[in-house]
Amino acid sequence: MMTYILHLLVMISIYLILAFSLNLLVGYTGLLSVAQAGFYGIGAYISTLFVMKLGINFFIALPISIILAMCLSLLVSVPSIRLKGDYFILATLGFQAVIYGVLYNWVSLTRGPYGIPGIPRPNFFGIEFGNIPSYFILSGILAFLVFLIFRQMVLSPFGRTLKAIREDEMAALGLGKNITKFKIISFAISAGIAAIAGALYAGYITYIDPTSFSIYESIFILSMIIIGGTGNIKGPVVGVFLVIIVPEALRFLGLPDSIAANARQMIYGLLLVILMYFRPQGIAGEYKFE
Amino acid sequence: MTLQVIANGLIAGCVYALVALGFGLIYKTTRILHFAHGAVYTAAAYALYFFLISISFPVFISIVLALIIGTLLGISTETFLYYPLHRKKAPYAISFIASMGIYLFLVNLIAMLFGNEVKIIQPGLEKTYQFAGIILTRTQIIETIVFVVVFLVFYIFMKKSGLGRLIRALSNNPELATVLGMNIRKTRLLVFGLGSLLASISGLLVALDIGIDPNIGFSAVFVCAVAVIIGGIDIFEGAVLGAFLLGLIQNITIWKLSARWQEAITFGILILFLLLRPQGILSYKKRMEEIS
Repeated sequence: MMTYILHLLVMISIYLILAFSLNLLVGYTGLLSVAQAGFYGIGAYISTLFVMKLGINFFIALPISIILAMCLSLLVSVPSIRLKGDYFILATLGFQAVIYGVLYNWVSLTRGPYGIPGIPRPNFFGIEFGNIPSYFILSGILAFLVFLIFRQMVLSPFGRTLKAIREDEMAALGLGKNITKFKIISFAISAGIAAIAGALYAGYITYIDPTSFSIYESIFILSMIIIGGTGNIKGPVVGVFLVIIVPEALRFLGLPDSIAANARQMIYGLLLVILMYFRPQGIAGEYKFE
Repeated sequence: MTLQVIANGLIAGCVYALVALGFGLIYKTTRILHFAHGAVYTAAAYALYFFLISISFPVFISIVLALIIGTLLGISTETFLYYPLHRKKAPYAISFIASMGIYLFLVNLIAMLFGNEVKIIQPGLEKTYQFAGIILTRTQIIETIVFVVVFLVFYIFMKKSGLGRLIRALSNNPELATVLGMNIRKTRLLVFGLGSLLASISGLLVALDIGIDPNIGFSAVFVCAVAVIIGGIDIFEGAVLGAFLLGLIQNITIWKLSARWQEAITFGILILFLLLRPQGILSYKKRMEEIS
């Protein structure tokens, strides 16, 4: 039972990191992206490949994967940032599909649909994060660090500029802010943070395959933060806890697994519709998608 | 072989074109990225399965009932969701997210009722016909005929009838249409009904051809969104052109590479278009900032 709770806590900390990363983009910059699972996957695959093919330590592979994910994010953000509204959503969707396609089809590098098994657990100068309690310490520390960085960032002039862009692009432009640059930087930071979650996930599950990073996962992360609310710090936290813990209750109701998965998604769908109608800022959020 | 691939591509294009016509019509008139269009498509296909296989109704009645269910589902998303949101002047992101919610709800409901596995409506090998070296199955021929008939009726309706003119007016300039006293609500309902009917027809054809699983609507609606954009959103014929192009490209991809590259190639084309010609093929030149 304790292991089960710790497992949930590890998953929560991974999703908290993802929620913070997407919140920066959706809630602060006002860019509705459905490519987040792509960067999550890029982080997972790059760190895993460095660890397994080159034998590099996880804690060195982690910053490398963050930097590479940030660089790759430019491929997405530079062309699509000028697009507005629905077209931006579709462009990010396109990139999500392309990233998934590459992970799935580049068999010589990623082993494609077979996935990469036997990923070693992270090892910090002799301290191995091999079992679940110690892994929770690692993921908890990383999630907390991301939280601190995120908080500093959104309270800084940088965060306020992003909010200004979200509220009124023209006004921000009028005040001499380079909105394209700010959007691209925000996109890159968001991708880098998502890569941390990816690396953590790969080290925890010790097996990755492309299906964990599909468009469905992107939509899952997006609905998580929309249900909790975006544009502030507490919204996504509420969303993650709610979306991860409530379905676990369904497990205790004794629903068979196959039905439980569908029931869970039905609840998310219904929640999204109800929230959009009555409370577009989510349960504890600030941004109303205006 | 080349001819066969082209024929398969064009027939796949026929099926996409029906969904894309509906999706494009709805997007153009209401500016809603109607994600739940995929759920309508899936629901119609499952309704056919239910009536035809589960309770063995006659074919004709099953088809009519399935089409009615699909159309009513589309109309009810408009009545109970989009129109209230439209009256609250909700921005595009809200209707998109709500639409995603409806999609998740409906598709998982279908999966709960019918199970997640693939269902086949026409088991066994199909009768094939040969024309000038091209082999076509019976369903493929039906698909082509249905598309040609439906498209002609739709074309004449949109160009010649008063209601069609009303729809085109609303999609051209919603504000002007409101000022001139057109009944926006009824026109929107008509658009959703028509679009959902087209999606349902396509859903039934796919159900007959390759069988159904709860997730078929997902890729269908996105391929059609891509078709609408690359074909050009300003006129509805653009969606058909885009659908045929995608059908061809996907079949060439399957032939030359593998079926697993289909999605990546489709969306790669979307990205190229968004970069180089965001207004689509059949459209006049616009600045990127003017689009959407």
